[in-house]
Amino acid sequence: MRSWVIALIAGLAGIAAGVAYGWVINPVKFVDTTPASLRADFRTDYVLMVAEAYHSDHDPELAARRLAVFGSEPPATISGAALNTAGDVGYAPNDVVLLQELSRAMQAYQPAVPTAGSTP
Amino acid sequence: MGIGLAYAWVIAPVRYVDTSPNTLRSDFKDSFRTVIAASYAATHNLDRARARLSLLGDADPVQALTAQAQRMLAAGDSFQVIQNVARLASDLQAGESAGVPASPHPPSSTSSPIPTVSTTAAPSFTPASTPTETATDTEPPPTAVPIVTATARPSATPIPTAAAPFELVSREEICNSNLTSGLMQVSVLDRHRHQMPGIKIDISWAGGEETFFTGYKPEIAAGYADYVMQPGVLYAVRVAGAGSPITDLTAPACPDTGGESYMGGLKLVFQQP
Repeated sequence: MRSWVIALIAGLAGIAAGVAYGWVINPVKFVDTTPASLRADFRTDYVLMVAEAYHSDHDPELAARRLAVFGSEPPATISGAALNTAGDVGYAPNDVVLLQELSRAMQAYQPAVPTAGSTP
Repeated sequence: MGIGLAYAWVIAPVRYVDTSPNTLRSDFKDSFRTVIAASYAATHNLDRARARLSLLGDADPVQALTAQAQRMLAAGDSFQVIQNVARLASDLQAGESAGVPASPHPPSSTSSPIPTVSTTAAPSFTPASTPTETATDTEPPPTAVPIVTATARPSATPIPTAAAPFELVSREEICNSNLTSGLMQVSVLDRHRHQMPGIKIDISWAGGEETFFTGYKPEIAAGYADYVMQPGVLYAVRVAGAGSPITDLTAPACPDTGGESYMGGLKLVFQQP
């Protein structure tokens, strides 16, 4: 058998061993992730929780702060995306209404801008 | 190998997507529990709150909530937020003691489905599209988000106002030689008989006074606090700095099996009217 065939087989065996080790023996463990990396349905459920709380307290600033865990996206964008996902996965109508209410509030919400000289 | 590492760490570093809540960093899990508690306070849907908590993968959700309430108490967070978390823990505990299973319930026909964590499908990751991203998979903490830094957090006093004084609804002498001698056990409840952490208790006697708070022994109850009385001393207790103090409290003398006596304790329960 030619030497290059042996090298090719050895290389493929090495790759297979590496994949088996990485996928089966010692797979990647995901820890310390951020909410921005959550699957869309988990994000939507979180936004629904914020909407449920907002429906009770009517505090848009608090709702915006809760949505800020997803990163620097505007809260209106986050709530709008959740509303779309809720429609896609078939949320109950009353939950969709809550998300719509939150989405409207976030579109109207203007974050307070700190004035010059104020404490950051 | 060097080329491979350069590609994996610099050119196209790993970026995690489609993760589940049980992989979140602990401070983000705290944020999740806070929002679950706020949602529960608004909807009173315990099954839904339980299902959502199960997504976080805590071995004991009640203990996780109680511990978080203590951390928030120590950090001086809003009393309302702490109360929401403590109430959810209390209601979960009550639900479980009433025989409600701890596993998530299927959503009702009028509720949207709560997403579930797949035990077989691992979160996927995709290469980042830009080479300028760093090779680390960690991101800045939530305090770096402009909305958080641009607006001041509302603060609320942890002490209920004088308009809602607590009433002594139960006073019991405890004769139990296994307990610490002279132990005064205080429980503070709201009008719905939910435990209330973070409530200030003033205790005074001839020549002295002290202050302590409920909530520092969550393993007993969120609204529990205790104080060790000295023999022969009369104490007065006032809860939340409001209302009339309860006076003439002293450790009782309890008989033991040998005909001797030992110092017992008191159990006081205060509740908002």
